[in-house]
Amino acid sequence: MQNKRTVFVCQGTGCLSTGSGAVYEALKAEVAKLGLTDVEVDFTGCHGFCEQGGIVAVEPEGIFYTHVTIDDVPEIVGSHLKGGNPVERLFYRDPATGRAVPRYHEINFYKKQQRVILRNCGRINPEKIDQYISKGGYRALKKALLEMTPEQVIEEVKRSGLRGRGGAGFPTGRKWEFSRNAQADRKYVICNADEGDPGAFMDRSVLEADPHAVIEGLITAGYATGANAGYIYVRAEYPLAVKRIRIALEHARERGFLGRDILGSGFDFEVYIKEGAGAFVCGEETALIASIEGRRGMPRPRPPYPAQSGLQGKPTTINNVKTLASVPPIIEQGADWFSTIGTPKSKGTTVLALSGKILNSGLVEVPMGTPLSTIIFDIGGGIPGGKRLKAVQTGGPSGGCIPAKIPDTPVDYETLTMVGSIMGSGGMVVMDEDTCMVEVARYFLSFTQAESCGKCAPCRLGTRQMLEILARITQGKAQESDLDTLFTIAKTVKECSLCGLGQTCPNPVLSTLRYFKSEYEAHINKKRCPANQCRFLRRKTGKKT
Amino acid sequence: MQPITITLNGREVVGEPGMTILELARREGVHIPTLCHGPHLTSVGDCPSISTCRICLVEDERTGAMVTACGTFIVPGMVINTHSPRVLERRRTLIELVLASHPDSCLICDKGNRCQLRQIAAELGIGLVRLQKIPQPVTIKDANPFIKRDLSKCILCAKCIRVCQDLVVEGAIDYFQRGFIAKPATFGDTALEESECTFCGTCVSVCPTGALTEAEPAYTGTAGTVVRSTCPFCGCGCSIRLEVHEGRIVRSAPNKQDPVSRGTLCVKGSFGFDFVHSPDRLTAPLIKVNGDFKEASWEEAVTAVTDGFRRLKEEYGSGSLAVFGSSKCTNEENYLLQRFARCVLGTNNIDNGSRLYGTAGLTGPGETGGVYGTTNSLAVLEEAEVILVIGADPTKSAPLVGYAVKRAVRCGNARLILIDPRESRLALFADLWLRPKVATDLTLVNGLCKAVIDESLINEGSVDRETAEFKAFVESLSGLTSTVVEETTGVPFVSVRQAARMYGSAKRAAILYGSGVAQQKNGTGTIEALFNLALLTGKIHGYSGIYALQQENNAQGACDMGVLPDFLPGYHPVADRASRRKFKDYWGDIPEEPGLTVFEMLAAAKSGEIKGMYVVGENPVATFPRAEFVREALSSLEFLVVQDMFLTETAKLADVVLPAASFAEKEGTFTSFDGRINWLRKALEPLGQSLPDCEIIARLAVQMGSPMAYSSPQEVREEIEKLIPMYRGIGYGLLEEPEYPTEYSGLAKTPPMYRKQPERAFSLLPARNGILWLEPDKEYPFILLTGSSLYDSGGGTRSSRAARLGRFSSGASVSINETDAGRLGVIDGEKVRIVSPAGEISAAAEITDALPEGLLYLPFSLSANPVSQLFDITLDPERKSPLVKAVKVRMERVGNSG
Repeated sequence: MQNKRTVFVCQGTGCLSTGSGAVYEALKAEVAKLGLTDVEVDFTGCHGFCEQGGIVAVEPEGIFYTHVTIDDVPEIVGSHLKGGNPVERLFYRDPATGRAVPRYHEINFYKKQQRVILRNCGRINPEKIDQYISKGGYRALKKALLEMTPEQVIEEVKRSGLRGRGGAGFPTGRKWEFSRNAQADRKYVICNADEGDPGAFMDRSVLEADPHAVIEGLITAGYATGANAGYIYVRAEYPLAVKRIRIALEHARERGFLGRDILGSGFDFEVYIKEGAGAFVCGEETALIASIEGRRGMPRPRPPYPAQSGLQGKPTTINNVKTLASVPPIIEQGADWFSTIGTPKSKGTTVLALSGKILNSGLVEVPMGTPLSTIIFDIGGGIPGGKRLKAVQTGGPSGGCIPAKIPDTPVDYETLTMVGSIMGSGGMVVMDEDTCMVEVARYFLSFTQAESCGKCAPCRLGTRQMLEILARITQGKAQESDLDTLFTIAKTVKECSLCGLGQTCPNPVLSTLRYFKSEYEAHINKKRCPANQCRFLRRKTGKKT
Repeated sequence: MQPITITLNGREVVGEPGMTILELARREGVHIPTLCHGPHLTSVGDCPSISTCRICLVEDERTGAMVTACGTFIVPGMVINTHSPRVLERRRTLIELVLASHPDSCLICDKGNRCQLRQIAAELGIGLVRLQKIPQPVTIKDANPFIKRDLSKCILCAKCIRVCQDLVVEGAIDYFQRGFIAKPATFGDTALEESECTFCGTCVSVCPTGALTEAEPAYTGTAGTVVRSTCPFCGCGCSIRLEVHEGRIVRSAPNKQDPVSRGTLCVKGSFGFDFVHSPDRLTAPLIKVNGDFKEASWEEAVTAVTDGFRRLKEEYGSGSLAVFGSSKCTNEENYLLQRFARCVLGTNNIDNGSRLYGTAGLTGPGETGGVYGTTNSLAVLEEAEVILVIGADPTKSAPLVGYAVKRAVRCGNARLILIDPRESRLALFADLWLRPKVATDLTLVNGLCKAVIDESLINEGSVDRETAEFKAFVESLSGLTSTVVEETTGVPFVSVRQAARMYGSAKRAAILYGSGVAQQKNGTGTIEALFNLALLTGKIHGYSGIYALQQENNAQGACDMGVLPDFLPGYHPVADRASRRKFKDYWGDIPEEPGLTVFEMLAAAKSGEIKGMYVVGENPVATFPRAEFVREALSSLEFLVVQDMFLTETAKLADVVLPAASFAEKEGTFTSFDGRINWLRKALEPLGQSLPDCEIIARLAVQMGSPMAYSSPQEVREEIEKLIPMYRGIGYGLLEEPEYPTEYSGLAKTPPMYRKQPERAFSLLPARNGILWLEPDKEYPFILLTGSSLYDSGGGTRSSRAARLGRFSSGASVSINETDAGRLGVIDGEKVRIVSPAGEISAAAEITDALPEGLLYLPFSLSANPVSQLFDITLDPERKSPLVKAVKVRMERVGNSG
């Protein structure tokens, strides 16, 4: 008799859209029909390799099926689970070699990753707290609450070098310390899950696949800062995440990880969910607070920082989903362990949403400082169709474009800022030689322009003017002086805007002006789009295949 | 507090902690342009400023960052450049961006040279904008006569939004849409008339561009002269800036330096001063000859007046004369008037217009001699943790107080207890809203006192339980059980207890009452009960207080100045020899007997005991109940002199009419309801031959042979300062108002001038039993409540002559509950007749859910509807004020009854 096996069907949003919900039901029915008592059918959250969905994994063997549809179910059950012969045609195929790779850990996409934040994603059922606990969950909380003082927790986090994963990279321990030191009758901690960058889904995946990790981090943050209430501000467009958080909170409460006198420590903590209504700017912390308070989600100037005066005017700590998910491993395994990962200034790992002209798109977690080339070529499998890499845009719509000529750029906060981009939320769009960089700038700006709240003048007016100029350029209607104007306005918007949205939204423009100025000039002077992408300037011959 | 040294444009300068770069730069004479910054405007969340226009950006050399000067506190070692090439380039780009989306219509824009955007563009040397023009498409359908919006000129500084939300707390406008097309708009982007807007005009006064302007401007240019003065409408005492062009007031704006009004006004203060230029103004004295008025010279008029009074005095004695003074005139005028009455005419028959509102009875019951009234300043009201509002709708009758209450609740830490049968605007802000039956306030407040005692919420420091006084008080409440309170008032006793707990356990609590209490039969008892409640819980002084609203701009001052039959200036009882002696040295003999109140005067006129009357700035025929009686009484006089700006219904009955100057044509002071002394400055020359009241009274005195030797209002002030302790030692005797020192932040650092509180010893008075005096019956099944209208003031003598106010307030309607309306078959907007035992009027019906069944509501907007005709003259026996708050009525459909 074989050991008991579990078939995990991915029920992340990506796989669900391929029909994995039906696959899950069918597998259960099929297994029951055949009376396989040694097989349990369960589900997980996102594996990160969404392009290959629906994904079905069989543990503990580690067999990894891709593109599974309901029609494949009888064969998986009959041939593999009953007969012991894995279905090779459903294995992942290495795009470079064309070889079938049966097991999870043998796939290049996963092999080069180091999963700290995504540690449980795709490995446990997010709706079963016992599975989280069996992976070591809530041990860190017990340790923090029962063996450490709040100051020790903060010290540990400070020593770990953890920085905010929301994009700005502020040291998390110091943020906690500000709030800890603030005198107030009430304090709050907030988990910022208002992930709004187009194409970014790392926070969503974590919440859908491992909600307890975030909740455990949030409770720990509450303990460290002296807050007794926490909010999870999550987009209403993430109904599955909301549902799983809700279930997780209920389970955590049942087990005594939430509520009064948690684990007998005397510490009380409660978590509330606030669903955002879809404004991109609400990811900005002061706008987020305004939104929770029931006001229009608009940023306000800082200081005072939320750590001094935040929700309801009380000291408030706001951490990103990934930051909070990083906390339990730090507490459990120690700052020393964590700080061995990454670079001297940027510790730990980062989660990237790899997309664009790349073979393996999906969620990727790598140590900070991993060179772009490793991510693109080793993990991402390179550019399809033998095209050349042109640029990589990082950090979401407010990020800059890094040219292919600096492929070894390490992905960390300082370096990305230096080359004119940002870490941001972790978006990473790969562009090949067929990409028009002016159009890229126009495209990203059209997003931020539409999402500008309108409160401050440079962002409200400047983004609109820039967009007009970029449109003129891509239509071949621009003059040479427009480039200067574009640059001046971009600098003004960047330096003068009130919040992070305005301060970063010119990045696609400024970085493409910096690295791809000749493309702009070609559009203006020669009325030609070098990538032959702009509709108004498209050449009749040499049409793209 | 260590001083902070920073480097500002290469120079070391020293500031204090908590100062922004902008404040320090201004103090150092460094000009940094701003658009969205302004006094009294703060952003949410403890930021020093909203920082949205970004024009004030400066460079911090150490970090290389651009920071807003308005929103950044100074820290040691900062190196700030306010005009470096980089800063200037950014600033220029910002202004160019704004101008690119702003119409090029400066030449025809009302804002003209007052446009701050234009000024800053000029400073930065920006001419033609090289950017693409991207206009803001807007359509506005406003039709009101006050505010015009042209949002194509809006730069979204959000000042209008912030004053609407954070200062006047109406919330009529907010951001609408987002990004490039974001704009300030009403809910659903409707016309202003269809929104919560009260047309206070504060937004117009803060708009830096021509986006918000006056809808029907008297003059679109820049006024040559700006004169600071005080609004003459209600008792709030808001300071205003009158813009004068060629002898006309062309604009009125709030005074942003005023730390109490905080740069707000209401619709009357912003748009109501055209009465000054009304064609109805009297320009010459009038003498009635054979029933017709003939214009006369001042000499003739003064002679006619003095001859008339002298003859009556000689023939019938001083007691046959009476003076009715005005709660709208200045303190100096009122002081002179009562001296004229007492020492020239020789009578204590003098009273003032606030008698109608029951607040001339700031005077308490005889046995204690206490002086009731406001015990603290309006500025302190906002510090309260609990505010109890009873018998008042300050959002209508005293807008500035309304703003303060709403701010305290919305932006401060206050909780509001509202006692009102009707759902007033404040109900939205109330934490606890008690809706007693009409005319049961006394029982309710006594119930609160009872609950305070039962719940042990007594402040031991303020009340000694062992005194006979306290025991008598407790004894007086013994019959008042919770059942009695519940049955009488209709308010569940649990709510009464909850209110008592809220009020009693707060550290700082305020009570605010208005004419809703004072104009009722049990008014005196209710006011006493409110003081008892405050005294029991120790909430009269410090950060607590009692606020008695005043309807008229100088009701407080007129009473302070002794325009009362029983009190000399400063509430010295006229019957008291020592008090009289104090004034005798200055004035000569003072009659000993207290005189008649105005309603007693009228009765005495009717019966022939009063033969001659001098009415200054009041129009009793229009404002008092039973116009016919008042008319008859005044007509029975042998000699009537009326001094007014207009030929009012009362003036038409006079033998001599003396033309008075308006508030804008004279100097003097008003005392607000909370004791703030506000200065009037002369903005215009008196119209025609009209004269300031002071001058007229002085001329009369000279002609009567008892000259009062004052050469100017200042000399009057000096004497007031000497003789009235409340006005002593506060700088009152000065030539004119001391300038508020304009500190670096643009805010006054010294408080405004307050007169001192009168000396008074409060003690617990036995609770009185409420008298059930108003019950509907078969014939009159409804109770009609009256109240104030925002667009009218008092009798409407002035407000009805302010063209826009008159137009906007016309058609005041009677509100009725939906169920009642259904029962009567009355539809919304239908014309109905209201009949009371005393009279009847007609009005349009308005169906509302703000009223309980059995209650009607009709605001006291006399210009539109003579509500007073529904009332008889029934006086409160102690305060001698008429009971004109509520009356039983029936409603008839005009169509049905023919």
